[in-house]
Amino acid sequence: MQLQGKSSGSEMEVTWQDQQNINTFSRFNNRFHELEDEIKFAKEKCDNLEDAGNELILADEEMVRFQIGEVFAHVPKDEVETRIEEMKEATCKTLEKLEQEKESLISQMAELKKVLYAKFKDSINLEED
Amino acid sequence: AQMSSSSPSGSGGDDLSERRGIPAAKFIQDVETYLSQSGFDSNSALAFHQERLQQYKVVEMKLLAQQRDLQAKIPDIEKCLEVVATLEARKGTGEVELGCALILTACFKTFSLKDLISMLACEIEHVVSQNIVLASLEESTETSLRVSLLADFEVSEGIYSRACIEDTDSVCLWLGANVMLEYSCEEATALLKNNLENAKASLEVLVADLQFLRDQVTVTQVTIARIYNFDVHQRRVNQVTPTAIAAADA
Repeated sequence: MQLQGKSSGSEMEVTWQDQQNINTFSRFNNRFHELEDEIKFAKEKCDNLEDAGNELILADEEMVRFQIGEVFAHVPKDEVETRIEEMKEATCKTLEKLEQEKESLISQMAELKKVLYAKFKDSINLEED
Repeated sequence: AQMSSSSPSGSGGDDLSERRGIPAAKFIQDVETYLSQSGFDSNSALAFHQERLQQYKVVEMKLLAQQRDLQAKIPDIEKCLEVVATLEARKGTGEVELGCALILTACFKTFSLKDLISMLACEIEHVVSQNIVLASLEESTETSLRVSLLADFEVSEGIYSRACIEDTDSVCLWLGANVMLEYSCEEATALLKNNLENAKASLEVLVADLQFLRDQVTVTQVTIARIYNFDVHQRRVNQVTPTAIAAADA
């Protein structure tokens, strides 16, 4: 996001409200990128848990080595199944919440873009480079 | 550059003049007024604000590094909590198995496993958990003590070893600075939970600091652009060829 320094050279009035709008847009933009990373991470985790669950069904051993902390503990298969279910549910819920936040951010940013472009037209660039 | 607490004419509706050592960037209502009041000419004003921008960037790097550290620390603490919780959960079942196993070894010579179990089952009808243990003893061929937890841990890259973790009331926590302390499971859980809360709270404060800092960076960038624009405008008005002035990197 840039405020063009080189363009018309005309005196453009910038009010405190404008400054706050710009600041808010910047915050939203940063948060948006953070969210994208978090969503990617959560999706990956969800997929991994899904795969783990499927592997578990195929496995025929009674004791499964389940990672707790830094070690692999020997845990009975049923307990592992329960744990993986719980973890999957938690991760999916987190993922949903993150997606919702992203949606709301996108719409809020679109609103602000409208306001800022209306005031500054060419003197401001709010696109991703 | 020192933070001046002066010229109300230059300031906007700032909530804070500084936050935890980070000076706020004062919002300028009108560039012309600001320049005449501060005695700056365009070039020196630009230089001043550019320097401010650099200082902000330095602080931002520091805060980002701290944030990364905290974000790594939190999952670590959560993992430790999980391990302690698992050990504590195992404790209960271990005790019952221990009790039955002792009785078993005492009687091993005289009775077969099946007879012994039916004897015990008759006597201990109402204890549900022991019945479960007895059923599993029936299946297993071992009469030795059942250990609490078997775990494979990494000895070195790609090399794992097996550990038998017996029932225990205490765990050792690595406190840092080459110090490891033994705690009871309850104390350990309490300590770890406390650390986790503190880390999360610190992270929250840090994120707020970063947001504040980024706002100040944005304000400064906008100020630089406006001073530059004003200068260009002035030169045009005064019919002087504008010299190349370094514009802000936004």
